[in-house]
Amino acid sequence: MSDDLDDIQAIFFEECAEGLATAESGLSAMAAGDVSAKVIAGVFRAVHSIKGGAGAFGHVALTAFSHRFENVLDEVRAGRIAPTPGVTRVMLTAFDILSDHVAASQGTKPVPADDAVLAALDQILVDGGAPDIVAEPMAVAVVAPMDDDPFGFEPVVAEVESFDPFGFEPVTVALDLLDDSVAEPVPWTVTFVPSNAALANGGEPMLIVRELEMLGGTVVAADLSRLPPLRDLEPEHAYIGWTLSLPGDVEEQAIADCFDFVAPNSIVEYARGVVVPEDAPVAAPVVEMLVATPIAPPAPLAVARPTAPPPASSPAARAEEHPEPVRAGEPVAQTIRVDLTKLDMLLNLVGELVIRGSILADRLSPKDQERVELPQLSRLTREIQDTVMSLRAQPIRQAFSRVPRMLRDLSVETGKQVILETIGETTEVDKGVIEKIGDPLTHMIRNAVDHGIESPERRLAAGKPVQGTIRLSAEQKGARIFVRVADDGAGIDRARVRAKAIEKGIVAADAVLTDEEIDQLICAPGFSTAETISNISGRGVGMDVVRSNVEALGGRVEISSVPGKGTTFTMVLPLTLAILEGMIVRLAGQRFVLPLANVIETVQPEPGQVRPTTTTGEVIELRGDYLPVRRLTRTFGLADNDALTPEESLVIIVESETAGHVGLMVDTIDDRREVVIKSLDQNLHPIRGLGGATILGDGSIALILDIEALVGPSAPLTRYTPKGLAA
Amino acid sequence: MSSIDNSDERKIVTFSLGQQIFGIDMSALIEIREWDEPTPLPGVPSYIKGVTNLRGTVVPVVGLAERLGWAPSVVHARSCILVVNVDGKQAGFLVDEVADIVLIKDSDIRPAPDVEIGEASVIAGLVKTTSRTIEAAHGSTDGIMVLLLDLDALGLTRQLDMAA
Repeated sequence: MSDDLDDIQAIFFEECAEGLATAESGLSAMAAGDVSAKVIAGVFRAVHSIKGGAGAFGHVALTAFSHRFENVLDEVRAGRIAPTPGVTRVMLTAFDILSDHVAASQGTKPVPADDAVLAALDQILVDGGAPDIVAEPMAVAVVAPMDDDPFGFEPVVAEVESFDPFGFEPVTVALDLLDDSVAEPVPWTVTFVPSNAALANGGEPMLIVRELEMLGGTVVAADLSRLPPLRDLEPEHAYIGWTLSLPGDVEEQAIADCFDFVAPNSIVEYARGVVVPEDAPVAAPVVEMLVATPIAPPAPLAVARPTAPPPASSPAARAEEHPEPVRAGEPVAQTIRVDLTKLDMLLNLVGELVIRGSILADRLSPKDQERVELPQLSRLTREIQDTVMSLRAQPIRQAFSRVPRMLRDLSVETGKQVILETIGETTEVDKGVIEKIGDPLTHMIRNAVDHGIESPERRLAAGKPVQGTIRLSAEQKGARIFVRVADDGAGIDRARVRAKAIEKGIVAADAVLTDEEIDQLICAPGFSTAETISNISGRGVGMDVVRSNVEALGGRVEISSVPGKGTTFTMVLPLTLAILEGMIVRLAGQRFVLPLANVIETVQPEPGQVRPTTTTGEVIELRGDYLPVRRLTRTFGLADNDALTPEESLVIIVESETAGHVGLMVDTIDDRREVVIKSLDQNLHPIRGLGGATILGDGSIALILDIEALVGPSAPLTRYTPKGLAA
Repeated sequence: MSSIDNSDERKIVTFSLGQQIFGIDMSALIEIREWDEPTPLPGVPSYIKGVTNLRGTVVPVVGLAERLGWAPSVVHARSCILVVNVDGKQAGFLVDEVADIVLIKDSDIRPAPDVEIGEASVIAGLVKTTSRTIEAAHGSTDGIMVLLLDLDALGLTRQLDMAA
């Protein structure tokens, strides 16, 4: 039982994550100036559902906070508080705290201190977000950006009140308008025809009707015209539509709220005044009812909705008129939630299918292999595999979503102002990749703010805008994803990086380094140029972690920097972690997979081309260059190492990030094929030098080589020595 | 640990390693497989014989005798791999021969004395069974002592993390 509850709770937290993402993108849009009703309603709905779920699961603090946040959003949505930049900023801060509350409910974070933000929210409710006061609550919650206020604006609320020469009370004014209509309330007429599938979708129509009745509504008519003869009646279909009359003093929003969770394709219409539907059976009772009720003249048109169109009108038109509550006409993307382990299982099974297919092909005679059925089967299998892979693909937005929040925190901490530009956030990447780029991305963003973007004074002095820009982009090229973090800061100070690297003993004092090599030093372990260790970065682990994380994913980090213009970090990642193009090689009879992405060329050594340099080291001469050679049989201790002479072996030249070009000596090459990657740590633990395992056509296992780990010298000081100064 | 309704009774799988009879809780057993030479792994302790393909999953195969600090088992016709679930991870144990499945009472389990077999803590307890199959195989008529293995203590990851 408690397991069930945990499951449901897990779904709730998933929905929270989605709701938070929606709210954040909405708030960001508002901050960027898009304050359309649709955007605001989106944010409201997101916070509203978080509150609802939190209440159901007894997360008291989360419920309380989201309730007060929702109050403000509700006022903004109703147009009683203008979504000025100041109000939006408070709401962004409130959003951050809301995320913390969600995390606290999940038990991953302590309960945040929300007093300041709640005070700021309440302040908005009190002063109605009056333009003069708007900026004030922001100062309570977010201090740093205010320091840069060019006008030296002192935001103190009490003073504003005394300064106000008119004693202007915006809330009261706003209410006056409403009061006019309340004085002679025109009753609402609400028509609600649930879609046929409402019950199947969990949208019990009676609950909505009862909710309307709670507001004082009365059912004046029921439309039975869709009711089929008894023998055609599907007990789980909803056939009946209702027309209700509600007192005129009910707020429009309250009615709209009732339809928050209405099933798609239902018809919802509400308007002040008389609705005379063209359908005769309904019309008669309505008229009777209206006669009994004193009807005010349809004068206050400013508030009144246009009379509802007849039910036959196009759903799209209705959706435009009532964008928030009516989801009927909008195209509804049909989605279902699937447990990720089921997708993984499916992927595994498809992998098995591919393997069985190749086993089958191996066993058939060459003549049978050419028959049309087999290629068709492989093509189908391949299509299934691609589809399953695409099921796991998610927009990279998920990884990007935490960046805005981080930037807000960072700009408070550092006093630097940063604008975020995001490009290509719909690029789809395997879920496994998305989960694993979060940390590297965090480090890169922190680095960009801390080391890249200059302080406002220095930016002004350099003739740049006060606000720095960080451009976060993702694009797919072939089977790779490029994730870039570009800042418009000062660029890498190469002289200082070099000096620091020499000081730390990472490179020799007389080393000759190209600009690119100096840039790469940033990623060396223990390297940090920050003069003081800040809270944000500067512990000298950041870029090192980025690099090792990205390499663990089979990717690489590229750095490009222009002094005075900025720095760009690029993560080049594989599209998927599940399939790899590989070369099957043999070492002492055992088969291994060498990732093809690393392979440059294959060399059959001539006598004397491979020469020993030290007792264990060897080099291969290749077009005048000498490249180190490693005998993999020796590395893995597989055989009495020198079973084969270099001339009997093959040397595969591979490229690695850390050690440049290196030759790997293998016995033979068997094949080249796509393999399904199975992780070793699922049942064991990662093994250095191996990137995983795969199952070959005959059902046996081949280990996948991790080139970076194999060729990178194990000593950390030499590991990151750029190629060219190995001597 | 056991999911059997009667909480005092549980089923164990007994198997032999050399002259010794061991038992593991039936609920941890996934399947029993014939010995098939696993793919060796580099850079792991010698008791890890390699990895094998268990219906599409890569599962490590452990020489249980070596894991317990004894001489390695010699693989023969009746050698088996017991595939078990330890703490959510799957592992195959190479054993000399699977003996029987017997029902034991929790109250019959005696605490393990400090026996010198590598780590005493891997023995969860001792229990005497009267399984005829085992008795016949060992030429005994008054019950055979079975060493109950504590799979969690044998847990591969903990050991291997240290080795890695």
